[in-house]
Amino acid sequence: MRSLTDDEILESLRGEPAPLLPILHAFHDRDGYLSPEALKVISKGLRIPIADLYGTIDFYHHFSTGEGGHHQARVCTGPICCLKEGNQILEALRSQGATPMPCAGRCDDPVVVLKGNQALLGTSAENLQPRRSPLPPEAPTLEGFEECVFAHIRSPERSQFAGYRSTGGYNALEKACSQLSQEDLLSQVEASGLAGRGGAGFPTGSKWRAVFNAPGDPKSIVCNADEGEPGCFKDRALLDHDPHAVIEGMALAAYATGAERGFIYLRYEYPETYAILEQAINDAESNGFLGENILGKFNFKLYLRRGAGAYICGEEGSLLNSLEGKHPFPRNRPPFPVTHGFEDLPTVVNNVETLASVPPIVLKGADWYQCLGHDQNAGTKVISLSGDVNKPGNYEIPIGFPLMHLIQDWAGGTPSGKRVQAVTMAGLSGGFLAGEDLDVTLDEPCIRSKGSFLGAGGIMVFDETRDMVEIAHQAMEFFAEESCGKCFPCRIGTRRLSERLGGHAGPGELTQWLNEVEALGQTMKATSSCGLGIAAPLISDSLVKYFPEQVENHVKS
Amino acid sequence: MSNPLVDMEKPDVIFCIGTNMTECHPVAATRLKRAIAKGAKLIVADPRRIDLAEMADLYLPLTVGTDVALLLGMAHVIQREGLVDQSFVENRTRDAEDFFKHLGEFTPKWAQSICGVPAEDIEKAALWYGQGQPSAIYYTLGITEHICGVDNVKSLCNLALMTGNIGKEGSGINPMRGQNNVQGCGDAGGLPNNYPGFQAVTKPEHQEKFEKHYGRDIDLENGITKVTAFDQCGDGIRAMLIDGENTVVSDPDRNHCQHALESLDHLVVIDLFMNETTELADVVFPATSWAETDGVCTNTERRVQRLRAAVPPVGEAKPDWWIISQIAQRMNIPGFEFSSAKEVFNELCSLSPLYQGLDWDLIDKGEYQWPVPYKGHPGTPTLHQEKFENGRGIFTKVVYRDPAETISEDFPIWLTTGRRLQSYHTHTQTGRSAGIDYLLPGESLEIHPEDVMSLGLKDGDWCLLSSQRGSVKIRVEATARSPKGTVFSSFSFSDVPVNVLTGSGYDPVTQTAELKVCPVRIEPVKS
Amino acid sequence: MTPPTHLQNKQSDPDSKPQGQETLTLTLDGEEVTFFAGETIYEVAERHRKEVPTLCYDPRLEPFGACRLCVVELEGARNPVASCTTQAQPGMSIKTKTPAIEEHRKVLLEMVVSENDGIEVDPLRGYASQELSTLVDRYGADTGRFQGAQSGCSKFEDDNPFILRDYNKCISCYRCVRVCAEQEGDYAISIKGRGFETQITTEFDGLLKDSACTFCGQCVQTCPTGALADRKALRAEGQDGELQKTRTICTYCGVGCSVDLVTQEDRLVAVQPAMDGPANEGALCVKGQFAFDFVQNPDRLKKPLIRREDGELHEAEWEEALQRAADGFLKALDEHGRHSVYAIASGRAPSEAAYTLQKWIRSGFGTNYIDNCSRA
Repeated sequence: MRSLTDDEILESLRGEPAPLLPILHAFHDRDGYLSPEALKVISKGLRIPIADLYGTIDFYHHFSTGEGGHHQARVCTGPICCLKEGNQILEALRSQGATPMPCAGRCDDPVVVLKGNQALLGTSAENLQPRRSPLPPEAPTLEGFEECVFAHIRSPERSQFAGYRSTGGYNALEKACSQLSQEDLLSQVEASGLAGRGGAGFPTGSKWRAVFNAPGDPKSIVCNADEGEPGCFKDRALLDHDPHAVIEGMALAAYATGAERGFIYLRYEYPETYAILEQAINDAESNGFLGENILGKFNFKLYLRRGAGAYICGEEGSLLNSLEGKHPFPRNRPPFPVTHGFEDLPTVVNNVETLASVPPIVLKGADWYQCLGHDQNAGTKVISLSGDVNKPGNYEIPIGFPLMHLIQDWAGGTPSGKRVQAVTMAGLSGGFLAGEDLDVTLDEPCIRSKGSFLGAGGIMVFDETRDMVEIAHQAMEFFAEESCGKCFPCRIGTRRLSERLGGHAGPGELTQWLNEVEALGQTMKATSSCGLGIAAPLISDSLVKYFPEQVENHVKS
Repeated sequence: MSNPLVDMEKPDVIFCIGTNMTECHPVAATRLKRAIAKGAKLIVADPRRIDLAEMADLYLPLTVGTDVALLLGMAHVIQREGLVDQSFVENRTRDAEDFFKHLGEFTPKWAQSICGVPAEDIEKAALWYGQGQPSAIYYTLGITEHICGVDNVKSLCNLALMTGNIGKEGSGINPMRGQNNVQGCGDAGGLPNNYPGFQAVTKPEHQEKFEKHYGRDIDLENGITKVTAFDQCGDGIRAMLIDGENTVVSDPDRNHCQHALESLDHLVVIDLFMNETTELADVVFPATSWAETDGVCTNTERRVQRLRAAVPPVGEAKPDWWIISQIAQRMNIPGFEFSSAKEVFNELCSLSPLYQGLDWDLIDKGEYQWPVPYKGHPGTPTLHQEKFENGRGIFTKVVYRDPAETISEDFPIWLTTGRRLQSYHTHTQTGRSAGIDYLLPGESLEIHPEDVMSLGLKDGDWCLLSSQRGSVKIRVEATARSPKGTVFSSFSFSDVPVNVLTGSGYDPVTQTAELKVCPVRIEPVKS
Repeated sequence: MTPPTHLQNKQSDPDSKPQGQETLTLTLDGEEVTFFAGETIYEVAERHRKEVPTLCYDPRLEPFGACRLCVVELEGARNPVASCTTQAQPGMSIKTKTPAIEEHRKVLLEMVVSENDGIEVDPLRGYASQELSTLVDRYGADTGRFQGAQSGCSKFEDDNPFILRDYNKCISCYRCVRVCAEQEGDYAISIKGRGFETQITTEFDGLLKDSACTFCGQCVQTCPTGALADRKALRAEGQDGELQKTRTICTYCGVGCSVDLVTQEDRLVAVQPAMDGPANEGALCVKGQFAFDFVQNPDRLKKPLIRREDGELHEAEWEEALQRAADGFLKALDEHGRHSVYAIASGRAPSEAAYTLQKWIRSGFGTNYIDNCSRA
């Protein structure tokens, strides 16, 4: 096939909203890197200042500015791939230009290596193969509980349009359009108690209502699929195996709020998912569930946008800036996206899991969803469980389910039966839980009482053989590398904490060391402008709290 | 300017014509860029693809000297599309009916045949300008330095009057003044037709007022312009006092100019440096420079501001007003016993209705824009708000005229001249400031790359540039900023005296020279 | 040299208010105060003379929220809020200076000190160059805590004569990036990399002269650490004499930008923009900012010159030159009449020059034989 010319690429995408990322990817894919000439053409075509464009592409991990860079291997050196053979594979491939990348969301199937637009899996440099991402493990039966978002995910062909339809797909949208007013739908989502599943836990119904009420058109629905948190891979499972559920959730959100355009912002590291979603969007559109005059009721055009490797783009302000082609710094809040989102217009930003929960709620009712939770809690949560467990994977649990029950009974405990030394919460952002605090139930009130939080539901398990200071150092190094650089406490604080955990700088005397680490953490938590800088010190705080002896040995040596 | 500089951030639609603002008035251009960032639409008409053209939403690359045709075409569309502000035309203007009848024949197609801008772009520009709420016009010497400079300005006035874009916030007709105090110089009476405060010398009441103050008879006729004076040098004009102007380099037709000054009996020049003009003088006086002088200047938005001396004068340099007063005293002319700039300025205020409400101390913070007709008046940021100075705004039936000289077999290329960002005027000041040569080491002739090829030249070659009046040697710069068939150079460098070539004609009313259009020939030359 | 005005004396009368705006109230450090719709907490606090520190704030630019020094305690908020980016709301209760807030500010400043190789810089570097060192002194934050890697890498290979790019002293406040975009509209400066590795850059990380930079110097004048510095001013570094500022108007085009001339004894060493200049509001261009040293150039005419019998111009005393000038005009008047003398006024000289010149022609000869250079 003849490759597109510069003008053809620009012309095909310039008219769409949020054109910069797809244009950059088109040049990147065509040329194997972003050449200075390409940047100049894009700068001119989109009227983006060349200095801004140059600086902004440098912000992302995966845009190469060196010839052939796109096709050089990127090896995952996230916390779990590191426990396996990530570093060895990286060393083996380094001579061919391989570089490390942070957690690429395949912790249930390590190690992952990206080459061009292909994800390869294996445990050594020799046996790397492409393969489909794992389905969630079969859930054990639990009295009075059924899965919500995973209920049909294991049905064969569920990821295809026909298979989705034959298992009840788009029935919720049809029901809404034929039986529910916008108000009915908003009320139902409010009544279900569904809250943001990306970590912030904001009530979904309230968010939708705010957008419904906000002045300004067109409104947008943004699906946050920039699943960058290390140890989190639930969105990948949903989008790979049940993409139409997310699309249907977005269409319902659009119907409820009056939004006319939508975006799925997918992280770069899921190239296969991109292809699946592209197909799913085309199929949904050609079958009348997206596009013009959906079920005779509304218009909703959905665009797929691919990130380029930046953890901070999971933060909604950064994500919106990235979509708009701006430098992906977080935005100051307020105003919030519900009034000033994409292009400063009212915008719903929802997580993948949140959106996938909506169709079942519409079909089965708010009460049904309310009652899925454990004890007093509403609904379910997908936990991405990985690390030192026999059966890593995504588990949909009733909210309030005990942590150790999940690890020991559902996931089969640690491989050699060793003691669980610690787990992380919220991927890395919740820091560690250890000792007696492992005896928690998986709901925000309980976990917050231990100084952590459940967040997006990534839990990494470390057995008693692991060096917790080293794990904490890697975690902090991740935050330091992913800090966007906008606010001082995070930009400087993450670097200083990483240096202290890695032994590269800082006092050699324990009390002074502890004072500095505490002071940095306190100020970061109090003054950082977004969640990254606020969460990062939980790693150092919880390390000091649970593992004082390991810390003392580290400082002394 | 009819409107203040802050208004530049307020229009819906900005129409820039004959102004290279980002280079010549960079700080004003920053406001324009902010307006664009806030969503204002920018229309730029200029023969050259200047930076402003790159920022424009609509760029109209007209042939040099054809502004009237373009503007008539736009006026035609505004009328045809019913974008005329009827109530404004009715209440504030006159001669509208004649003018609208006059417009009938000037279709965009007709305009295209003269100015070269596609008719559909002329339509679009007219629609945008006509629909803007408000729209503002900005222009500079690209409009005035033509034999039809007055017609150009009147054409712009017609557009503003038709659409009611005058006298309100964010609108207006806004010429950008080129020199720091060219406005103040006119305000103070440095004109052959006006006393201070633009009081016409031909009105007997003004004559009487100044005769009384100055204690002698003064002509009731306008004086001759500088252009005429130069023509009469050695004949009617025998002595001249030039204050702070390197006339020989900055004026058109350098050879004529030099010859004129040489034929004087007595030439006195006040300046900071020796230059091509002081070289011809009988007496040269060293003036104090900016940074050494207390005084007042008035900017392009009519803001009257104080200059303050920060360092002592070099050598024995003296302020211009002091030098002139001392000469006057030695000629026994009364009324020159000034001991400070403050005294001079306060006398000016007392005689100018525009400055009547001002004095030296009041303008300490630069808060006032004239007219300030009485003490306590807040000043007038926007002109013509309630009414025009002369009652009603007058529509003028302008017609297109060719430039004084048009391209021919002998001189087949248009030359247009202007300034560059890093250099000022004849470079006597910027050229003596460290570092400027890093940005602009010398002059060059901007030629479209295809023309460079067809002339048998390469980027960086030397060429001989000739007009009917002379030739200069200049380096070639191949750039698409110049359209095909038109070349550009500044007049900043004395080793490339481009004004040897210019001076083909003058506006019949103002006698402003047609510096923006000059047919030339380009020939290769060995360096 | 006096500190930047927006640190020192920006506080206007707290009771003055824009006309026609509704007056709202909130509680500031226990006192009920008024504010206007649309004001940020920082602006309200400034107006009421609270000393809220900041490093990323420039009143001409959109609030950005990078340095976090301006955080205040807001009743009901879980964390302190950045006062520069938070709109004031009626009924808010705000504390600008609790011990906890002051401690965070000190820690933040200690962090900033730790990323640089030194914070004391010559005030010649630029208008705002003392902001960081002033705050570090105020908070006693030069404690040596938090040592580690240095951020920012100076680009000394950029040998342009105007702007020193000493990024070793950069604290990533992005004022230069923002002023270039928001104030100047040039978009020449941008941000490369991220986190601690963030670097101020231009297109393709090249030299300023190969970028969209117009050398207006705005980035220099807003830099709070002197990382971007006025190279021409630094020629006076180490010389004797107090620095003084004199307010005047730029000598170049007709915009009429207000500037402060920086002098040292009798030497003109730099130009700085006047942030409260009515025409420019702090903006300048390359000529206004950097093309000033013609004033004390050795080529300046220092004495009057008279053309003598040899046909050459020679230096002369004032009395002789003035008399010679006067005599020449009297002779023309005498021999050829009053319409034989002409004067050309300057659009570059102050109005007093034009006024005296036209008065000389009109009251000396009774003609209107005067014009000026605006016709060229």
